[in-house]
Amino acid sequence: MAAISLRNILLTGAMLGAFVVAPMARAQILEVGVDASPVGLDPHLITAFPSFQVVSGTIYEGLTAIDKDLRVQPSLAASWTISADGKTYVFKLRPGMHFHDGSPVEAADVVASIRRVKSKDMASPMASRVGTVDQANAIDATTVELKLTEPTAPLLISIATIAIVPRGFEADKASLQKAPVGTGPFKFKEWQPNGFIQLTKFDGYWRAGAPKLDGVKFNIVPESATRQVGVSSGQFAMLANIDAATAMQLKGKPNVRLVETLELAYSLIGMNTSKPPFDNAKVREALNYALNRPEIIAAALFGAGVPGGPLSPALKDWAADTSSFPCYKYDPAKAMALLKEAGVTMPVSITMNVLPRQDIKDIAQVAQAQLNKAGFKVELKNQELGQFIQDWRNSSFDTFASTNGGSTDPDDYFYRTFRTGGSTNVFKYTNTEVDGLLDSARQMPDPAERKKAYSKVQAILACQGPIAHIAYGQIFSAVRSNVAGFEQIANRSLVTLSDTSITK
Amino acid sequence: MTRIVLARLVDLGFVLIGISALVFCMIRFIPGDAVAIMLGANTEVTPDRVAALRTQLGLDQPLLVQYGRWAWAALHGDLGTSLWTGRPVVAEIALHIWPTVQLTVMALGLGAGLSVPAGCMMARLHGGTADTLLRLGSVAGLTIPSFWLGIVMILALATLAPSLQLLGYVPFFDDPLGNIARLLLPAICLALPILANLSRLVRSALLESLGQDYIRTARAKGLGEARVLYRHALANAMIPFVTSLGIMTGYLLGGAIVVEQVFAIPGLGRLILGAISERNYPLLQAVILLVTAGFVVVNFAVDLLYRVIDPRLRG
Repeated sequence: MAAISLRNILLTGAMLGAFVVAPMARAQILEVGVDASPVGLDPHLITAFPSFQVVSGTIYEGLTAIDKDLRVQPSLAASWTISADGKTYVFKLRPGMHFHDGSPVEAADVVASIRRVKSKDMASPMASRVGTVDQANAIDATTVELKLTEPTAPLLISIATIAIVPRGFEADKASLQKAPVGTGPFKFKEWQPNGFIQLTKFDGYWRAGAPKLDGVKFNIVPESATRQVGVSSGQFAMLANIDAATAMQLKGKPNVRLVETLELAYSLIGMNTSKPPFDNAKVREALNYALNRPEIIAAALFGAGVPGGPLSPALKDWAADTSSFPCYKYDPAKAMALLKEAGVTMPVSITMNVLPRQDIKDIAQVAQAQLNKAGFKVELKNQELGQFIQDWRNSSFDTFASTNGGSTDPDDYFYRTFRTGGSTNVFKYTNTEVDGLLDSARQMPDPAERKKAYSKVQAILACQGPIAHIAYGQIFSAVRSNVAGFEQIANRSLVTLSDTSITK
Repeated sequence: MTRIVLARLVDLGFVLIGISALVFCMIRFIPGDAVAIMLGANTEVTPDRVAALRTQLGLDQPLLVQYGRWAWAALHGDLGTSLWTGRPVVAEIALHIWPTVQLTVMALGLGAGLSVPAGCMMARLHGGTADTLLRLGSVAGLTIPSFWLGIVMILALATLAPSLQLLGYVPFFDDPLGNIARLLLPAICLALPILANLSRLVRSALLESLGQDYIRTARAKGLGEARVLYRHALANAMIPFVTSLGIMTGYLLGGAIVVEQVFAIPGLGRLILGAISERNYPLLQAVILLVTAGFVVVNFAVDLLYRVIDPRLRG
């Protein structure tokens, strides 16, 4: 009885469904499946990836932009000049641009946006990106001048992430969280919490011919299997930023195409340098020798990744080759010898907090097995996210396995992570040589000179730093075969949606 | 009658106070607080900012003070605002309640509605192969977890009828047919255990009453088999049926959390799950209070129904 009625009901459902599908008009709305709901859409207040994914480069833009090769390009600013001392930047805005609410984009809006990010009251998590901006002045309607307290080499990259919003929002903490207003190719239309966020084409967009789509709809679908069915059945045209495990399951599905690139984010094992045994640089080096990175990548990432040092190989202008790091050659005997030199009793008992994400759990398990063979005794602690973050913030760990987003400019990542007292230096790592290099490198106007400094930093950090960098994974997006023009970018931004279209 | 209703309302008050205190403490015992999660793992956070945010949200006060403040405001009809969005909790709930209510009604309607004929059929075919098969089927219905069934149904439908757009949710008034079509699969998922459970209950209650003296009397009066079954035996089987129905309405919400997750329906289940992982204390407290109140009210309604069904209680 149950089975019979079930089938009948299914058939009824199918017929009902058929009626619904038929009359839908085919506007070019790109249906995207995403796993998590944003908590807010204010570009200066959000901290989580699900929010950035929806707004960055789609609704909001900065003075500059990062292209798919992770290099700086003009965006709202058509051009800029930098004074000889590196302390004054003058940006020339494109004429005739508009915000989604119809008001013109003028220098005063740029000034207000930068003040908004710097404001104590707003407490923007991005404040440090414009930390050295002392004054922002509107010279005329289309000219903005930034005066810096000191030369700041990464400024053009940092400023790409500072969205320009209308000046009226300068002191408004609430409105943009729910209803964003930007300059990008798509404007906000509707947000059904836990359901979807819909963007529509902005007709007044400054770049001619873009966007090609009539809109983008981010469907929030928490269950991975459901998202996969969504894209293989064609209800979704895209699953953005999926991991290797999901990508492998979608590989070869008819009408589904994978777009991929090497990403900036990386998996890591962090070590607490404020207490034994990892206060000893030799123990940190031993841990690096004990890790077999290619094996971890094969076992936990389905081979979709490459071993990397402190900087992603995707940052071609900056990253040092891993062959220059001796400890990246797997050598458990050497690891044990180093432990003996360090004078610790073997096996070295340590705990490892594990971020609750499947790929990280897998990595931690493989790493545990490898470390246990090389003089360590690792106890894994699978934690709930809240607990993990709390322990991370309080530096209450021996080691942890996790993943980090990565940055386009080395300074952003290095300074806050490895500088003594850096805001995310939870390892309590301190090294005067690294501090000196980082302090001077951010003031070097010459890229070649900067590169030299960061190469030194990478050499120091790779084997004896507080982080054992494990692997940079491939990041994928799955699209239907009729979706054209979308490109996967290493920083996971969906900025290329402006050039995406749906062909017949 | 009035006295009973009043007594029940007093009970409800006690249950709500107890639950609110329990929930209040329990969610605060989960390690990792809202501020830590809100600021994320990788932002530029200073201890000052953490402290400021804690003060702003009132999380720096002792537990008892926090509970006192919250309970006082709640008694005045103010359930607080969501820690994350700053919207009133009531507004958040209003946004999410309809899909769940609709899902619950559809699942109950399907499950309970089909269980009576199914149970009667099983009782009539009692002892035969068909009865055995149906009973086996009902065991499957009871034991298959709804999240698994949901995924399998989605996969099956995607393979059999890939052109159907049945994921997600559209409000009923935007597109009534689309709304029902999209909720049908999840409703079936939730209804199956109810159907299995209730049809077994109807079957055994019917079989029991069919052995009673009054049934023999009815048959002796020369009534037709159908009239004996439906008018006499079934009426008496209704009492345990209604009790179970009341309890199941409460459990439906537990199932809805899972099923809403699988079918991407923006209902109370998703709201609860999100509130837990965000440590959104005011929101979580309010939703759990609401659900508890709903559970108690439904069971109260069941008690009242007894008086309609069972003439002995009408006195």
